[in-house]
Order: sequence, then structure tokens, then C-alpha cells
Amino acid sequence: MATDRSQDSDYVRPVRRLLLLVLGVALLLLFLLWRIDSPRVERFRLAFVDAVVPNMEWAMAPITRIGQMIDDYSGYARIHEQNQELRRELQQMRAWREAALQLEQRNAQLLDLNQVRLDPSLTHVTGVVMADSGSPFRKSVLINVGLRDGIVDGWAAMDGLGLAGRIAGVGQRSSRVILLTDSNSRVPVIVQPSGQRALVSGDNGTMPVLEFIENPEDLRPGDRVVSASDGGVFPPGLLVGEVVLGADRRYRVRLAADYGRLDFLRVLRSRPAERIEDTGALLRPPVPPEVSGD
Amino acid sequence: MTEALRLQTLAYMALFMALAGLILFVRLLPADQSQPPAPMPDVLFVLVAAWVVRRPVHLPALLIVAVVVIEDLLTQRAPGIWPLLMLLGSEFLRERQGLAREINLAMEWAVVAGVGLAMFTLERVALAIVMVPRPPLDLSLLSLAFTVALYPVAVFVLHFIFQVRKPATGEVDGRGRRL
Repeated sequence: MATDRSQDSDYVRPVRRLLLLVLGVALLLLFLLWRIDSPRVERFRLAFVDAVVPNMEWAMAPITRIGQMIDDYSGYARIHEQNQELRRELQQMRAWREAALQLEQRNAQLLDLNQVRLDPSLTHVTGVVMADSGSPFRKSVLINVGLRDGIVDGWAAMDGLGLAGRIAGVGQRSSRVILLTDSNSRVPVIVQPSGQRALVSGDNGTMPVLEFIENPEDLRPGDRVVSASDGGVFPPGLLVGEVVLGADRRYRVRLAADYGRLDFLRVLRSRPAERIEDTGALLRPPVPPEVSGD
Repeated sequence: MTEALRLQTLAYMALFMALAGLILFVRLLPADQSQPPAPMPDVLFVLVAAWVVRRPVHLPALLIVAVVVIEDLLTQRAPGIWPLLMLLGSEFLRERQGLAREINLAMEWAVVAGVGLAMFTLERVALAIVMVPRPPLDLSLLSLAFTVALYPVAVFVLHFIFQVRKPATGEVDGRGRRL
């Protein structure tokens, strides 16, 4: 028995209308109640949210998980990017390193030429390190060159790179080198870019202290320290090391010489610089002979 | 067969509740709070409108009202006024179901847009009467535009994915009456 739905039973439509009306009025009342007594309704809302939302945690878990996965993935992408960047930088660094090596070789050549042409007095004798002091309070080594080879007290001893110490005590065929780290060693130096004069004084540690600095605020860690000719002890300009700032806020020198493997020491034959004692003489033209014959 | 049809109706009601739950869930997701909130379309309204035009049997008025009241409570809106308007709007569309079967999608879209606009205006008027602070007009208008623009999407999703279609000629309901 098919009947049209729009012609429902006589009583269904009015009842439905009535129920809808009741529903609508209830909603309107809810709205007005909220408007009039907002705190009460808000408390109910809060209780409702409290009851419903925490139960969503299980549902949140996969969402959070996916978010983490996306984060991780972008992290991986970033790592790849970083890797590429580092590779590029490494490539550039290789080029720079090549350039630096070439420059170093060229510098060595030029230095060699310089030494030969300009400073023939600065020759050296190389000795083999035979023994060290064997005492924790003495930093010195014995080398196998002595009076026989013309070694003189006070000459500077270098390893291949930097100043290692100076001769203190010469025997017939051996001599003692007191190292810069010895507590008795005091060596005048110049700190390179600022031109500060200072004294490198050993304290039996691996890094000797810079003392008697004129203006400590001019120093920066990393500055070059070279020997000075003050007192006529050392030839000037020998590399000593670089400035570091110690944990005790004192400036120290990281030595360029590798004290860990002192096998050969090069003793520089230095002559004491000539002192100019007299004052300048009176400058006058040479006396013409015909005047004197007068 | 009658049992099967009734079960199908119940299943569709469950589907509607699940979809509404999903919509609410997405709205409640802790989104990025650093950016100002973009105006979001009212997906629930679109869903209800498209569904009521197609199969009003699936959505009893009480179900719609219950879902929208829950949405009100969860989303910190003034409770009561939007469910009331949803009830009025859905009843309006329900009454015109016979008309809806005869018009095409564009006309239907226009009708739903008109209903949406009327509900939007009524809500603002009601809020203004009781002097409740209203959201900024430009943002809510933008939101309404998004909502209306979303309507065909909802229609296609209902039609092709969930098989909620306008009753074909000669289709009968559980009690053998013509739809």
C-alpha cells in the first residue's frame, strides 16, 4: 500500500511540529539562560569539555606521531642539506689548503734566499738531543755539540719551527739547552701585531707565562710571539709561539716548538750586535791640498 | 527488506555522527597558535544542508540539534542560538525536499547559500539584540563565503563516496511508501 509521504498520517505532522517548537523554545531558553546567568552555563560547559576532551588523548596519539614523523623527515632533509653545504665548504677549504701549501713553500724559498743573501752571520749547528734532564723541576736537554763545534753560552736553540731554549752550559762535546718552560728561563719577546714587549718566563708547565706586558689590553689570544733582541741575548724575530689566555686569566704562550719530540736542535750562531758607543763626529768637507800648501 | 532499510538508515545516522565527530575533532586539534586564526568554513552546516536536501530521513531534527549543541559547547560559542538557527534552516530545507528534487545543483547551491546567509544575519541580529560581542564582520563574511564555496564539494563527497543521493523515481522507504 504505497502512500505519498507528504500526506503523512493525520497526527504525525502536528505532533512533530509541536515537538520541534518545544525544541526551538528550549534552545532559545538555553541561549537566554546563558545570557542572563553566564557563569552557571559556563561552568556546565567547562564540566562538559572536561569530560569530553581528555578522552581525545588516544585519538591525538596518531596525530602527534604523524607530526613527529614529519618533523623527523624535515630534520633528515635538513641534514642532507647541511651535508651538501659541508661538502661544498670542504671543497673550498681544499682549494685554500692547496694555496696555503704553495704559499708556504714559496715563503720558505724566499726565506732561504734571504738568509743566504742578507744575514750570513746567522748560520747554525744542528745537534742531536741525547738526554733530557730527567727531573720534574728542570726542563733542559743535552745535545751532542759543544765547545768542539764552537758553541757559546747563550745561543738560541730552535727545533724546526720555533725557539726551544738557549744554551746554558757548554762541555767539550755536549751542551745543555735550558728550555723555555724551565722555571729559570726568561726570554725577552715581542708580541707581533701590537709590538708589545714582554718576558716569557717558564714555570715548569707546558705553557710559559707572559710577564711584564706593557699594555695587557692590547693583547689578543692568537697573537704571534717572536723573540726580541733586548739585552743582546737572542737574534730578533725567531718564532716563539702564540698568545693564549689561561684559565687563571693570565696571558701565556703556546710554544711553536714541539717539546714532545725534540730530536734535533738547531743552535743559531749569533754574534752579539755591535754596540755604537761614540757620538757622531763633526762632518766637514775634506781639506783641499792647495790650501794646506799655502 | 524492511529491516535492511531501517538498518541502513541507522548506519547513515552513525555515519553522520562519525563525520560530525571528525569535524569537531579537527577543529579541536591544537593548531599553531602563533598565527592569527584564518576564517574557517562551517563544515558542519554544509554537511547538514547537503544531507538534508538529499535524504532528510537520515537526519532527525533532534540529532542535528544535539550535534550542534555539542559543537557550541566545545567551541566556546554562545550556546543555543546557532543550534536553533540550524534547526530552522534544516527544517526549511526539509520542507522543500520535493522542490529540491526538481532543481539542479546550481539552483540548489543558490538556495542553500540563501539559507546560510539568512542564518548568518539572524545570528548576528540575535547577538546584537542581547548585546553579545560579535566576531568581526569581515572575517565572518569571509568565513560564510568559504562555507558556501564548500557546498558543491560536500555534495560530491556525499554523492560519490557515501552514496547519499536524491531519491530516484519510484524508490520506496521501509514501509513501502514512495519517497
